[in-house]
Amino acid sequence: MAENRTNTLINRQPEERPPAVKSAGSYRSLRWYGLFAVAFFIFSLIQLNLDYSRLLSGVSKFAKTVSLMFPPDASQWQHVLGAAVESIQVAILGTVLSIIVSFFFAFLAAANTTPHQSVAWLVRSAASLLRAIPTLIWALIFIVAVGMGPLPGVLAITVGATGSLVKVFAQSLEEVDDGVIEALRSTGASWLQIIIQGVLPCALSALLAWCVMRFEGDLAESTILGAVGAGGIGFELSHAMRSYRFDQALFVGFVIFIMVFSVEIVSNRLKRRMRKRA
Amino acid sequence: MSEQQLQRIRKWKRNQLLLFLILLAGLSIWSAFGTGFSLPALWGGFGDGAQFVFVDLMPPDFSGLADLIGPALDTIYMSFAAMFVGSLIAGALSIFAAATTSPHPALQIGLRAFSAMFRNIPVIIWTILLVASFGLGNLVGTLSLLIVSIGMLVRCFAESLEEIDMGQVEALRAAGASYWQVIGQAVLPQFLPSFIGWSLYNLEINVRASTIVGMVGGGGLGFAIQSGIKLFQYKDVSMAVILVLVIVLATEFLTNRIRGRII
Repeated sequence: MAENRTNTLINRQPEERPPAVKSAGSYRSLRWYGLFAVAFFIFSLIQLNLDYSRLLSGVSKFAKTVSLMFPPDASQWQHVLGAAVESIQVAILGTVLSIIVSFFFAFLAAANTTPHQSVAWLVRSAASLLRAIPTLIWALIFIVAVGMGPLPGVLAITVGATGSLVKVFAQSLEEVDDGVIEALRSTGASWLQIIIQGVLPCALSALLAWCVMRFEGDLAESTILGAVGAGGIGFELSHAMRSYRFDQALFVGFVIFIMVFSVEIVSNRLKRRMRKRA
Repeated sequence: MSEQQLQRIRKWKRNQLLLFLILLAGLSIWSAFGTGFSLPALWGGFGDGAQFVFVDLMPPDFSGLADLIGPALDTIYMSFAAMFVGSLIAGALSIFAAATTSPHPALQIGLRAFSAMFRNIPVIIWTILLVASFGLGNLVGTLSLLIVSIGMLVRCFAESLEEIDMGQVEALRAAGASYWQVIGQAVLPQFLPSFIGWSLYNLEINVRASTIVGMVGGGGLGFAIQSGIKLFQYKDVSMAVILVLVIVLATEFLTNRIRGRII
């Protein structure tokens, strides 16, 4: 189940569907869970104490905001495109650095290649710690540490992506057939030889696929890092919004949409090709 | 396969990998120049980051915990409310967005485009946009989480609906069942497990996203983190980050348990 979840996390596509509801017994417990969900929902609404009158007045204000967005103002396009390129560069650097780092740590984290199980456990928990903290919070931390600009963005993406790549890399390594490792070990190959000659060739295409998917996620993240001051196109967007230039903001939004969407299309196509080959 | 063919494939694969690596190296160098990035800067950055984390952030201020419980609970409530409403709305919409159950192709395409827009505009941008008209606070946080949830869930639900066993649908249709009877008796029972599975997954995503939403004015823990950093109250910030960590991991654990129990 955990593997399916990470698949879906990055694919955002149903790789494997959950199996059908088991029995009448689980249907009965289903009813209880449903009841609990409704009760907790009502409790949440009460606790949140939302101001519903603001909801109504906000809708008309929102409509006015949207009408101010048209027509989009592309007069700052040189500026915006420069920032977009910076976002892409941040994403590339962050992804490449995290691939290099997690490539080494994955061998320590995978159960079948790790020198010792406690090392694997340690690396895995460290990775899940890095992963559980959102990239934007990493960005905030690094902005305080190294100042504004693209550097904290690169560092934040590196840290966040390393957390998830170590996990999925290790999973791909664990899927390598034990027979391959056993065969090499019986010929007297060393740990390094087993990995280079046996494990790596088997897992390589899976690892490459994860790298591509990671880049997709990182690009989406790098476009928004600017909103907290880490450079890139997100900064242009929040700047335009805060100075109430909604028409400029819409243009920036278009550029972000195109960036994210085109990478999604390319990686979808790559994924399909990988699956066909597999 | 002959030996020659095998060798050719192997060579082709090696060339492919080599090309990929060269391309990657080229792109990285281009990016490094573009962002004014260098290895010393990287080391310095990680060094400064580590120093900040271990010296300025540590130890977390546990006395601030009492003030942070409220925002932390708000984060959970917002994520859950957005998931609950979102899955109901998306569940209804997805029936019209799936090729197998949609009454009309135009409706299907329209809804898909609609959900793609909801999904592909990052949640933080929705929040910035909505803050301008709804003001700061939990309302904006819940709304933007709701929008993104609907965008994601319509796609996932529709994809699951398209994978259901059409035999049952056909059988009911042949027996003369109406459109709504077919939906209720053949489609929904098959759809229920993936409905629950995706909704739980959406809850996990919402919990992560809600801290991000909070940073630009959506309330909850993210707001506490952002204001703590602006006020240089780093010990409070680390406490809030730890709470984020606890909530994210606890949600993952709980949803996994529920998933295992029901599905």
